[in-house]
Order: sequence, then C-alpha cells, then structure tokens
Amino acid sequence: MPNAYQGTLLHIDLSGQEVQHLPVPQWLRETFVGGKGFGAKLLYDLLPAGTAPLDPATPLMFFPGPLTGTKAPSIRACAVTKSPLTGLFLDSYFGGEFGQEIKYAGYDGLIITGRAPQPVYLYIADTTVEIRPAASLWGQDALEANANIKRECEDPSLKIVTIGQAGEKRVPFALLSCEFNRQAGRGGAGAVMGAKNLKAVAVRGEQLVKVADPEGFTKAVAQAHTELEGSDDIQVLRQTGTASAVEFANEAGLFPANNFQDSSFAKADRLGDKGQSKHLWLGNIACLGCPIYCSKIGAIRHGKYAGTISDTVEYESAGLLGANLGISDIRAVTHLTRLCDVFGLDSMSAGGAIGFAMEAAEKGIIDAPDGIDLTFGNVEAAEYLIRGMALQENELGRLLSQGVRRAAVALGGDSEAFAQHTKGLETPAWGPRGALGTGLAFMTADRGGCHQRGLPAPIEITHDEYNGKPVDPRATEGKAAMVMEMQDFSAGTDALVKCDFATAGIAIETYAAMLSTATGVERDASFLTDLGARIWNQIRLFNLREGLDPSDDRLPKRFFRDPVPSGPQQGQHFTTEQTAAMLEEYYALRGWDASGVPTSTTLDTLSLGTLPRFVLNS
Amino acid sequence: MHIRANFDRCTGCRLCQFACAERACSGYNPRHSLLRIQNSTEHLYNFPIVCNHCLNAYCQNVCPARAISRDEQTGAVVIDENRCISCGLCAQYCPLGVIIRHPESDKYAKCDLCGGHPLCVQACPTGALEIAYTGGDHA
Repeated sequence: MPNAYQGTLLHIDLSGQEVQHLPVPQWLRETFVGGKGFGAKLLYDLLPAGTAPLDPATPLMFFPGPLTGTKAPSIRACAVTKSPLTGLFLDSYFGGEFGQEIKYAGYDGLIITGRAPQPVYLYIADTTVEIRPAASLWGQDALEANANIKRECEDPSLKIVTIGQAGEKRVPFALLSCEFNRQAGRGGAGAVMGAKNLKAVAVRGEQLVKVADPEGFTKAVAQAHTELEGSDDIQVLRQTGTASAVEFANEAGLFPANNFQDSSFAKADRLGDKGQSKHLWLGNIACLGCPIYCSKIGAIRHGKYAGTISDTVEYESAGLLGANLGISDIRAVTHLTRLCDVFGLDSMSAGGAIGFAMEAAEKGIIDAPDGIDLTFGNVEAAEYLIRGMALQENELGRLLSQGVRRAAVALGGDSEAFAQHTKGLETPAWGPRGALGTGLAFMTADRGGCHQRGLPAPIEITHDEYNGKPVDPRATEGKAAMVMEMQDFSAGTDALVKCDFATAGIAIETYAAMLSTATGVERDASFLTDLGARIWNQIRLFNLREGLDPSDDRLPKRFFRDPVPSGPQQGQHFTTEQTAAMLEEYYALRGWDASGVPTSTTLDTLSLGTLPRFVLNS
Repeated sequence: MHIRANFDRCTGCRLCQFACAERACSGYNPRHSLLRIQNSTEHLYNFPIVCNHCLNAYCQNVCPARAISRDEQTGAVVIDENRCISCGLCAQYCPLGVIIRHPESDKYAKCDLCGGHPLCVQACPTGALEIAYTGGDHA
C-alpha cells in the first residue's frame, strides 16, 4: 500500500564524495514522523557529541514531512543542524517549493556531511546525485547563484537552496535562500552550508507522492480548507500577510523601538499594511499548495530604491530593521531587508545587531566609523553595517556579525545590559514586557529566544480566553501550562511540517486526520501533542549534551532593568521572582528536575530511553 | 468550452496542478499535471498555461496512430489511451508544453476538460482559472 513517505533518506558525504541511499526505519516514522521530529532524533544520533557547528562532521539536513508534497494545504519543510550562533539545536523553516521537490525526487530527507575540498553544488534529479564544481558561483549573491545554476543546467524548473556571501564567509546568522522570497532565516544554517564549501543544492524530481487512503485524505483536506476559509485570522493573513501585526503590536505596546528601549513607535503605520500596500504591493503569491497566499508581491516604483521587487516586508523585518532602528520609511526597510536576503543574512538577527550597535554608539561605548552617522533612524548606517557583516568588509561589521552576545562580550563594560538575545539568538520583534507568558516562551524556546515555538502575546494582550479562561497578561499563574501546550502543539505539527499561519485555521484533529489517511496509520490529536513533547525533550537532551547551561533559560537584562518608558505598557518590566516562579512551574510540568534536566521517568514515559540509535551505514 | 487563465489572479499555489495530477496519476507532483504554471520576475507573475483545445490542433495532426480526436460534447481535444503508441510526437509538437507522458502507463496524456467539469477550475482559490464558453466550433 502506498503511503505518503518515499521511504529513503539521501546521505551525501562531501569529504569522501560518497552518496548513500538509506531506508527510513519503521521505528523512526512511528516515533518521530518527519520534519522536526526526524531532525531532533538524527541530529542527536549523528552529530558526534561536542562537535563545533562549522566542523565538517556536523550534519546539515533538510526534512520535509509525510504531508509535504501532497495536496494537504500549507505544508512545508525545515533545515536542521547545530547552530553556529547559539551552539544549540537549530531547526529553521521555509515555504516555497524546495521541500516538496525533495519528496518528488524520492526522498524523505537530505543529510549532508563533510566538507568539499573546493566549492561545489549538489545536483539531485531522482536517483542521479552529482557533486558539481561551483568555483564560478562562489562570491555571488543568493539569487544570482540561483539564476546561474538554472542557466547552467538549462532547467528553470529546478528548485534550489543557495547561500549568499554571508554563508560563504560563515557569518553565524547566515541564512539559506530557498528560491525567491523564501528563506530559512534563523540560527545560521547558511554558515554551516558555507563551511561545507557547498554553494547550493539543486533538486528536481519526477516521483509521485501517494497517500494510503485517497478518499479519506480528500475528505480530511477538504475539512482543512473549510477551516481555513472559516477563520477570521486566516482572512487577515490573506489580506495583509503579517504586516497588519505591526499596528496591532504597536497599539498593544509590544513593538520594539530603538533596540527595545521603547515598546511603541510613532510611525508604525508607515511600516505596516497601510504603508506597504500604498508603496509596494501589486498582487498575491502563495507557497506550493497553499490557499492563504499571504505573500504580497510588489515593487518599489519610485525613488532611490526603484525597481526592487519585494515580497511583504513581514512583521519581524518591519520591526527589527524598521522601528528597532528608528527607521520609518518602508521603502528603505524593504531595501535593507532585500540586502539581507541577497547577501544571505537573517534579517532578524541583522536588525538586532544593528540596533545594538546604534545604542552602543549612543552610549559612547563604540565610536562610529569615519563618515558614518551611527544613530537611530539612519538608513545609510544600517546599510553600511549589513554590508560590513555580510561581506566582512569592515571592522565593526565583522564584530557585529558574531551576533550581539559575542559582540557584547568583546565590547565589555555595560554593553550586556542592552544586548537583546536569549542563548545567543537575537530577540524577535515582540517586546514582552507586560506579557509575562511571552517572556516565558522566549526563555524556554528550544533554539534560543524565539517567537515560533509558542507566542502567547496576542492572547495575553487582548485578555482572550485560553482553555475557557480569560488570560491576565501580567499574571504568572497558568503561563507555564499555556506555553508548554503551545510548544508541544508546535513541535508535534512541525513534524508534519505545518505552516505556522495555517494553524490559525486548521484544527489539530484535522492535521491528525490528514496524517492518518496519508500514511494509513490511525493517529489522533493526542498523538501529535505527545509527539511534540517527545521532540521537545529529545532536543533538550541534545542541548544539554552540547553544553546548554539551564541558567541561560532567561530573558535579556533590559527586560528586567528598564521599565517601558511610554505607551500602553509604560512602567512594565519583569522581576526575577516572576520569571523564577514561571520557570519552576514550567520545569515541574515538563517533568524536568529543578535544574531543568529531564528526569529518567519523563524520558521513559516518552519512550526516549529505549529507542535505537540511527546510524549511517558505511 | 475551454479554460480561461487569468494570470493577474494566479498566486502560483499550484492547487490546480495537484487536482490534475491526482486525477491523471493518482498521486501528487505538479510536474505530472496537464497544465503548467510559468513564473517570471521573481514570481511577481505566475502564468497558468492550459490546453487551448486548438481548432487546428497540431497534436492531433501529427499523431500517427489517430489516437487524438475532438470530444463532440465538450469540444476538448482528447487522447485515446488505448490507441496511443507512446511515440511522443504530440508532446513534441505542442507549443504550450501541456502534453505529458504518464509516469506509470508510459502513454501520453493531455487535458480532456475532465469530461466537462474541470477539477483544476474547482481547485483554484482565486478565480485564476475559469470555464469559458465561446460557442461556434468550440461549443
């Protein structure tokens, strides 16, 4: 009977120039399903303990899930490796079509190890796997390289992941460019690819993805479409992408301004959907198989940056390269975001690093380079630093390109007081002062300060109900349970690999129904949340093994020391008592001991103590 | 009847191609659907390319096995799989690139308007594909 798996993992060792086709073990499908689940287990098993992220032995892996490539709506894929920015587990997600093409080529995942002696790219067409020279592509930006590989292969239908110059130069927050306007941004997977001397992976596939129960699958997919159409949140995403969140967050007092010094920005409307629709947008585009079409494609038509094609400047980039730098010109923010995309920098970490530098200059901790006015609001200074970080072409850029945690250590003094990161990952564009559960979500996120593992902010700030009870944003009670439930839901469905936006419409029961009918194995909602807990604990084990100090489960100092100076959250800040209380409750609910380590009972309950180890046969 | 494509409404989501590949091949892969989406300018534009069911259909003209004919009910130019000898001339001479080789049967396949109820049109969430009636020879 067909099922939605292709049954094979492709391993490429760039050092030995060897290619292996490995069967996907049945136990791996049953216990980890795909996507983030496969990544959690395989990174733990395949990475020799203590290996540096940029060491050739570190695997760089791409995982679709069982539903990827089918007609299930809004399903994508992820990259998994050890983060050069945090030293922790890294899973980074991308839409578009690259993940689906891995399935069409006949694989449930790509595992890349080793380091090529010279720059190369991978060409994968079904069972044909070639390691091809890429010396002529080295030094090109992410989209140039994409276009040139398609030209060289005479195949515009190839789906390609590339790195830009930042990845080549191993900038710890270099991204993976997964075709136009789709990036696996966070955590520096691009640097791992660069360290492998791997410029690109180009894939095409002729295989079909088939499901076990076509009739049942069609019914489950129809239900998912009905739920998407019936959701008000989805209709907002369809109209504006995440751009409308700018004004929401600003009015709620969660929008970072001037390196999180403030939590609202007077000209936020210019950065949100109103400003963007006026100056940029022309039409809608969608990822493969997605009816939401959240992307608003367009172009800058006038002025200094005219001709730049732009997707939505999504919320995080509008926040961190806009308000967080004191910049209100949406066309300038579009330009800066575009530079990050083509050079291959995570726009979120880049915005965090530039904001940090601007504040350091404001406080006299660093001197602005000659000819650069390093003040909030200066677009030229931001551009200078993006180029400096990505191309490693100036000293300040090289310092900042290490991320704000390392930059603060290097600068010393009190700079740690405004280095906005958790475990090395720059804080997302949600200033959590005034929304305690959101703070806990950042503290406990598996890949460092991250908003994609559970974001209670919109529920907290609107006093919406959660599990039938209105949520008090400034209470600590109940936050641990809420955050843990969100994390388990997110991790479980990221094994599929779902789009975060679609979860505003599709119910977990419907995801379970799509999974069941696609694979022929009956699964219910509790299977997915249990799976999420298993994945979460597997990653905790990885992070602890790789040196995570649980005392790093904390927020940036600013959120404790500096009350919000204005706006709806004026006066709000965290106290150590609040975060300690939430964390204590969280550890207990997770089945972790008081120091944040999973107990053996917890591991046994999740079957993590007894599973086989995944090995690459050689 | 025929399928009219409105590129200005196409988001490139390819739900049409999933619906088509599902019917044509009992599986999913846009490469095996009987219509194409051509992207340009960094996906600023997505052009759906569907069979024209040409009045002077070159695919029909070049078929040595006379496997291609016009369905009188729908006006669709259709391939009789039982007569197809898999020579591929129809695909070679289709200027739109919308005739494909079936991955399992090895026969050639093209749009037959799903017998008058095109699934691609039903699957399109934006109205980028719609049924049009032109009368006359296409009735």
